[in-house]
Amino acid sequence: MPTIFRRKVLSSFVLILLPGFCSSLTADEPKPTPANTISLQLSEPVPAQKFASPPKFWIGDVVDRSGNPQPMLVMKARGGIFLDRQPTVILREAVEQSLKASDLLASDASAADLTVRLYIFHFGLAEGSQLDFFGKVEFSAMVKNPKTGESVEVKAAGTSIAKRATLKSNIQKNVQENMQESLKDAIRNFLRGQALKDAVVALGKDAGAPAQTTSQQ
Amino acid sequence: MRLFLTFLLAALLAAPFALANDKNARFKTLEPKHFTQAEGVELSPAFSDYFYAELRAELQKAKLASEVVGEGEAVDDADAANSAVILGTITEYKKGNVAKSMLIGFTAGWQSLKMDADVQRRSDKQTLYTIHVHTRMDPRWNEKIMAKACAKEIIKEIRNAQKAAPK
Repeated sequence: MPTIFRRKVLSSFVLILLPGFCSSLTADEPKPTPANTISLQLSEPVPAQKFASPPKFWIGDVVDRSGNPQPMLVMKARGGIFLDRQPTVILREAVEQSLKASDLLASDASAADLTVRLYIFHFGLAEGSQLDFFGKVEFSAMVKNPKTGESVEVKAAGTSIAKRATLKSNIQKNVQENMQESLKDAIRNFLRGQALKDAVVALGKDAGAPAQTTSQQ
Repeated sequence: MRLFLTFLLAALLAAPFALANDKNARFKTLEPKHFTQAEGVELSPAFSDYFYAELRAELQKAKLASEVVGEGEAVDDADAANSAVILGTITEYKKGNVAKSMLIGFTAGWQSLKMDADVQRRSDKQTLYTIHVHTRMDPRWNEKIMAKACAKEIIKEIRNAQKAAPK
């Protein structure tokens, strides 16, 4: 009787502990901690191109269309690397910072000549060779003239290639630099692109008018 | 004093190379475009983006231009005459054969990639150099590594074309 009892106790212990043991084996999903979280921001604002009659932009909604279920997870391997903010917040902040530095940012939506809605298609590391990190930021901007309701789509993309590393701290540093570089490249591609210039010309019949009238007076 | 002399010597030795690099920067701006793929070329969609990024990185390293601009970026009219655009097409890609490569060796069964590229002046679209690149590699290697090799080969060919071109 005691042996049967002992066996029962043992088997119930195994039944209780087994799922816990299995879950500990499969729990390799990285979790964000201060140690594996990186902060992305532009080291300096990207200078925008010169427009004939500079309009004032207002950044409206920023929508993530990447379809990434974990947009803040940049890299899964080696305990994971996470972003400190959502890509939508990072992109908005970077574009606004650059527009403000070039004096192209409106104080509010009502004062804007052109409103911009951003759609993110890719933000993070993309599939590269095994020898390096391939950072890619791809977004589309819907530039709209609120007076006429007309809108033009402007696409922008930025890429960057950084060396791989062995140490976790170096990997984190390289990924951070790589992502910052690709973000800067994408914003530069947007703000200095011929597509934005054409969009401003196409939509700017009414948008540039106040600036022209004030300069003539 | 000895340290100062060492620095001075190093600076004197490095000066010709630095000057050579400045001399190579013949363009004010250089804009690589995404290479198109000819019919029948079966490469992954990610290859095009990766190759473009590699080419830009290599152009920046090579200092062929004062500034390497992204695709579709506006360039000042004043700089257009001294600026160039790189347009290209991937004309052929052969996957290679791992078995052949392992059994025969001597580069048999290697994957191969052929590209044609034109370096055009931005202002009048005149073709300055025409480049043909053919890269071969072991079939077990990732196609992205091939992209890296192709980008390096293109830079090398542009340099050769610059040297051969009358000044």
